[in-house]
Amino acid sequence: MILTGNKIKKEVKKGNIIIGDFDIENISTNSYDICLGNKIIKYTDDILDPKKENKYEEIIIPEDGLVLEKGSFRLGSSNEIIGSTKYVPIIHARSGIARLGLFVHVTADLIDIGSIGKITFQLHATVPIKIYPGLKIAQVSFWKPKGKIILYEGKYQGSDGPVTSKTYLDY
Amino acid sequence: MILTGDKIKKENKKGNIGIRPFCDEQVNPNSYNYRLGKSLKELESFKDSKPVFKEIEIPKEGYVLNPKKLYLGHTSEIIGSNKYSMSLIGRSSLGRLGLYLQISANLGHVTSSHKWTLELVALKPIIVYPEMIIGQVSFWKNYGKIDKFKSVYIKQDKPLESQLGL
Repeated sequence: MILTGNKIKKEVKKGNIIIGDFDIENISTNSYDICLGNKIIKYTDDILDPKKENKYEEIIIPEDGLVLEKGSFRLGSSNEIIGSTKYVPIIHARSGIARLGLFVHVTADLIDIGSIGKITFQLHATVPIKIYPGLKIAQVSFWKPKGKIILYEGKYQGSDGPVTSKTYLDY
Repeated sequence: MILTGDKIKKENKKGNIGIRPFCDEQVNPNSYNYRLGKSLKELESFKDSKPVFKEIEIPKEGYVLNPKKLYLGHTSEIIGSNKYSMSLIGRSSLGRLGLYLQISANLGHVTSSHKWTLELVALKPIIVYPEMIIGQVSFWKNYGKIDKFKSVYIKQDKPLESQLGL
């Protein structure tokens, strides 16, 4: 079952959903809109290797925007801290952003229960698009789980901006 | 409703979910991590408007997937359920490296059970290894009477090309 906007609001008040800084204006019928932070990451290695820490550089998105070239891949993050100890969050692009050909995740929309931090967006531009800091880029929905909850304690807990892959820790 | 990791484990034991082989360490708070099987198919060209694939066996030292190419892979595990629907996606760790695991076709029908075909698209060149943990599958409670799914894809254990037009 998916939560309504009204239920999201109530669960934020109760502390079962964590959204910081919560703004009632960003509630929609079944989700909460989230904004793009001002930092993005670009990998600089020619070939990415999941078994090692890949090199990257950080770029600050200027106030007057930054163009993502067609086909480019960058990591960004939400401005907001997002998480829940009771529901499963799922990340989606806002339809208005998808209509401009921008993916906000690369087949990884599911967030673990108990994961609390800024969301790392996997930005893939299918056509050139200009992005701005604070742009309302995505939305998060919340889903009721069935079964005993064991909270996330993984390697991305408490992320405070875009975080590169830590899959090398698995090896 | 989406199943928690603990519930996935219990339902797998009961036989309502069938993940083979099953490993407790691959259970997440609300999904199960699957591994990449070692056969790959790389789309090379079209002949008489039919796709021509090159078959690859991923070596131990890994294989580089290049951007602007389509590869079909498969899960190492057989994954299925007679009671729940499935959503098969990538892992955040691989999404952060720009690797798509499927092309907007995440839904796994209740009653299907097989090694899943993965549609791999890399946004930057990336090395993949056989049996690496590459994606995750979640399980969803159904509402309504379950009819058996009739499909040409149901008994697959290798990357299977599109069967449209057959």
